[in-house]
Formats: sequence, C-alpha cells, structure tokens
Amino acid sequence: MSAESVPINHEQEPASPKRRGISDLAKREERLAYVLLIPTLIILFVIAFYPLGSVFYNSLSDRRFASGQESHFIGLANYSNLLSLKIVELQPEVDDTGQVVVDPDTGEIDYPPAVSVLPREPRRYRELAQFGLLGNRYVIGATDPEFVRAIYDTVAFTVITVALETVLGLGIALVVNSKFKGRGMMRVVMLVPWAIPTAVSSRMWEWMFKDTRAGFFNILFQDLGLSNGQIPFLVDQAWQLPAMIAIDVWKTTPFMALLLLAGLQLIPSDLYEAADVDGAGKLRQFWSVTLPLLRPTLAVALVFRTLDAIRVFDLFQIVLQQKRYSMASFAYYRLIDGQLMGYSSAASVVIFVIIFVFAILYIRMLGVRND
Amino acid sequence: MTKTPSAWIGRILFWLAIVLIAVYLLFPFYWAINSSLKTESQLQMTPGTYVPRSPGTGDVAPTLQNYGAVFRNDRFLTGLKNSAIVAVSTTAISLMVGAFAAFALGKLRFRGKQPSLYLILSMTMFPQVAVLTGLYAVIRTLSIPAIPSMILSYMLFTLPFTTWVMTSFFEGLPNELMQSAQVDGATPFQTFYMILLPLTLPALVTTGLLAFINAWNEYLFALTFTTIEPDARTVPVAIALFTGEVSFQEPFGEIMAAAIVVTIPLLFLVLIFQQKIVAGLTAGAVKG
Repeated sequence: MSAESVPINHEQEPASPKRRGISDLAKREERLAYVLLIPTLIILFVIAFYPLGSVFYNSLSDRRFASGQESHFIGLANYSNLLSLKIVELQPEVDDTGQVVVDPDTGEIDYPPAVSVLPREPRRYRELAQFGLLGNRYVIGATDPEFVRAIYDTVAFTVITVALETVLGLGIALVVNSKFKGRGMMRVVMLVPWAIPTAVSSRMWEWMFKDTRAGFFNILFQDLGLSNGQIPFLVDQAWQLPAMIAIDVWKTTPFMALLLLAGLQLIPSDLYEAADVDGAGKLRQFWSVTLPLLRPTLAVALVFRTLDAIRVFDLFQIVLQQKRYSMASFAYYRLIDGQLMGYSSAASVVIFVIIFVFAILYIRMLGVRND
Repeated sequence: MTKTPSAWIGRILFWLAIVLIAVYLLFPFYWAINSSLKTESQLQMTPGTYVPRSPGTGDVAPTLQNYGAVFRNDRFLTGLKNSAIVAVSTTAISLMVGAFAAFALGKLRFRGKQPSLYLILSMTMFPQVAVLTGLYAVIRTLSIPAIPSMILSYMLFTLPFTTWVMTSFFEGLPNELMQSAQVDGATPFQTFYMILLPLTLPALVTTGLLAFINAWNEYLFALTFTTIEPDARTVPVAIALFTGEVSFQEPFGEIMAAAIVVTIPLLFLVLIFQQKIVAGLTAGAVKG
C-alpha cells in the first residue's frame, strides 16, 4: 500500500477558532498512540535491546557459563583473538650443507611445518592457509582459524547462493508468469520448500548426500560416469560448501521466484503490447521493459536474501555440525559446548556489525514511507 | 487460430520448463517418501533403488514400519505438542500486540512516529544470533522454563513483521471511517476495535499464517534454550536430533518418515492459503 494512494490529510487540518478543542483531541490521540505502542516497545526492549546491550558488554569480558570464576573486563582481547591474522614467509627446509631439500619422489621443495614459523607469544597462531607468490611460499596464520574460515565460508556461501537464487528465481518467475493450466498448483509446489522447516529439508538432503551409493547423489554421479559413487560429500572439504549451497538454493529459490513473480505482475501489460507494436522481440522486451521495471523488486529480494544468508545457522549446524562452521554456528558452539559467553558474544557482535551495514543499505534503498 | 511450427516448439519448451521446475522442487520429497518406506536393510542397499525393493527378489516391497516407529517415538510426539503450543501462543500474542502498535503507527498522529517506523522496519531484519548469548543469559539467570522462553523470544521476528505489515493495511483503510465514527462519539480506541479491526481480518489471517510458519520452523533459539530441558524440544529440534528406538546408527528411514509427517500439514496449509501466504510474503517486499 503506498502512501500516495491514500493521502493522510489530517496533518494539514486548518487552524480554526476551535483550536483548543482540536489540540485537546490531538493530545488524547497522542496519548492513545503511546499506550498502544508501549507493549511492543517493552517486549522489544526485553528480547532485543537489553540482550543486545549485554552481548556488546559481555564481548569485552572473559565471562563463562556455569563456572564459579569471576569474570574480568578484558577490553578487545576477544576480538583480536577472533580476527588476528598474520602472513609469514615460509623458508624451504635446508640440509647441513645449506642445500634446499627437494622431495626425491615428487621433485617438490620441502617446507617445514607452518607452525614452526608462526608466532606463539603472546598468542599462538595456527595455520589457516598457504599460498605461493613470486616463487616464495607464505603462510596465513590466525589466532582462531576456525572463525576466520567461518567468515570466509559464510561470505562465499552468501555470494554464491544469492547469485544462483536470483538467476534461477528469475527464470522460474518468468516461466510461471505466463498463463497456463495448473498455475495454482505450481504455486503450491513453489511454496512447499519454503514452508517446511530448514531442519527437515536439511535432513532430507543430508540423506541424499550419503557417502555410499545408498545416497541419491552418489547414484547419480556414478550413473553419469562422474565418480565411483563413494564421494563423502559432507566430509570432503572440497564438497562441503557446494553441498550446502545446493541445499540452500533448492530451499530458497522458490521464495525468490515468488517475490519476483509478484514484481512481474505489477508490470502493466500494455507496455508489452506497445513493445509488440513497435516490433520489439521477446529478448529485447526482457532487457528494455521487464528488467528495468523489475529492478526495485529485484533489489529488495536481493538484500532480503543476503541478510538471511549471512546469518545461516540451521543448515550448517544440522548437516556439518562441527566439521565446518558458519559464523552463526561458530557462535552457537562456543556458547553451548564451550560455555564461552564472552568469546561467543564477540563473534555475535561481528555478525551483527556485518548485517547492520547491509540493513542500513537496505533502509536507504527502500526508505520508510513517509506520511 | 492455427499454430505455426515455431509456436508449437515454444509450447513444448514451455511445458518442458514447467516439468523441469516441478521435478527439481519435488524430487527431494519423493526421495524422502521413497526412503521412508524402506527397511533398514533396504536403505543400505547399493545402489539405492528409486522405489523400495526387496533385497533378495527385487520386487517392490514398501513398508510402513518407519511411520509406526515415528508415532511411537515420545520425543517426536512431545515435539509436535511443544511446537503447537509455542507457535500458536507466539502468533496470538504478536497479532494482538502488533495490531495495537500498527493502529497507532498507521492511523494516529503523534510525535516520534517516524523514528518508531524506522525502528520497526529495522527490527524486521534483526539477526537472532546477535542476541543469542544475551537472551540465553537472561533465561538462565531468571530460570525461565524453555517453552515460555521460546514464546517470548520468537516475538523478536514475529512482532516487528506483524506490526510492519499491519501498519500498511491500517494506512490503507479510509480515514473517513475513523472520522465518521468520531463524529458519532466513538473514542479512537472504540473506532479501532469495533470498526477498523474487523476490516483488517484478512490482514490478520495473512500475517498470522506467516508468523505461525516462522515460529513453527524456528531452530536456533529452540535448540539453545532446550539444551538443558530436552522435554521442551520442538519438532525441528526433535528431527535434527532424532534418535531411533534401537539402532545406534542414525535411523534415516524414521527421520524421513518424520520429515514427511511434518511436511503434510504444512502442505495442506499451503494448499488452502496459498494466495494469502504469497500476499503476506510480498507485502513487505514489493509494496514498500
């Protein structure tokens, strides 16, 4: 409902001789408004603002759950522990004569274990990744490689799923937008993946990704001659993220398609008729009519999905558990398994800040309807 | 009108696309149904079969034993009950409280309206995980039982959404309604619950449905708050942590049966209310 279609006119009531009466009425109206808003504000204070404040506060402490230990204010130590990165060059192994050791089997240069070059004091760095650049070898060390990897994985997951969902969703929306028998049924089919709990869809897919040929994907891959049917999709590092992406795309593409379908239906059909008269082909119509007019819907849907994907939890926690984390499942395990309240809070703050930035962009883009 | 060959090809491609989309969206359900009708030994057959087959003879041999086991599983049944209590209560409270706030935001004049609207809109995107540790601390400190904790905390996502969508519905109702009621001597609050609220019934149904589905599906808070109170687990948590009656292995046959059991009521809900659900989904996104 846009504000333009329903002008709210009592704002411009002319000042009349009975001004006092009107302002009395206005006061009563204002008081009623506050009374009606109070329950919502109290609830939001208790479940959102107060806990959020305490999360920020606790993130600066070493508070733990279920322990008699007193907690201390430790400043930004949790954050630096979560986010510290260091890149160190890895020198090749040399033998007594100063010669670089080369593996006799592979012909590759031998490198010492990465931990040997990473700092241990005051905080211990662990290996996150290695890369080669200009003939030198470098190690990226992190004080908490799991969290840094969780950030990387979550962002990669977000970018790829949202991109795939947008393209697929737009395709599905365009197909379903034409009139055909069974369109209502199609809409039901599209709503069901969205409507079922992620816990349910995650387990359904977990079973399809089973590591033997009892699992659908291993059967399929073998039938297509792509593998021997023994791929441990959920254990193999290289397959974990693609599997997560496949599940999420299946679950949320229909949602995206429904949003875009609603947007498509707002485009007046005479625009297409005019384009037909002008002799514009279907493809031309898509680029010159559909896409520009769909842009607002597309933008909103994109940001909705982005914010949702960044906080992904259910999928990672259920399917991968502690094998690999999303940012949210990392925070969960530190809180519940580790009882590390302060540390988990700091991770939550990092997630909050990332989402906050996106949310601001979103509000800027949409604007609150003014009255 | 006779169709040209290219129109026929277009037609065929179109239906091919429809079938492809439907198969893509439905196949995981088919595989789950297929697996739920298999015994443990049928599930371990490699390659897995597209219909339940007997390992020896290869005949089609479905079994309902997984469904029997699911309905004998106390954790699952308690989960259904808990989910129903939590989702219904959350929906009812957020509709009531949200309608009040939405009336004020949509129809009344007061100072601070703009900031309140901003607040509600930004709250619709509030990440739950950001307050997880804080809420968990509050709940543990005050020792609130898990079920009321879930009902209260779910309002974090149902209440702002309900308020936001209802506000736009209230704005859409003509002011003349309110004015004529006021001329007749009705107070603004009487106008609200005697005249405007009945008119927003369709909006209440739409937002209520979405709030219900979201509350029914919630997992993060449910998992966290029931850590020390397993009897309060909701269905998503029960399914995620499903353990069978006997086997130590994860009983995927029973898990698939449970998944199908949970999906069927939602399927009916979607069948009956598809138009309302789509309207609610797009209310925030398209009309903004």
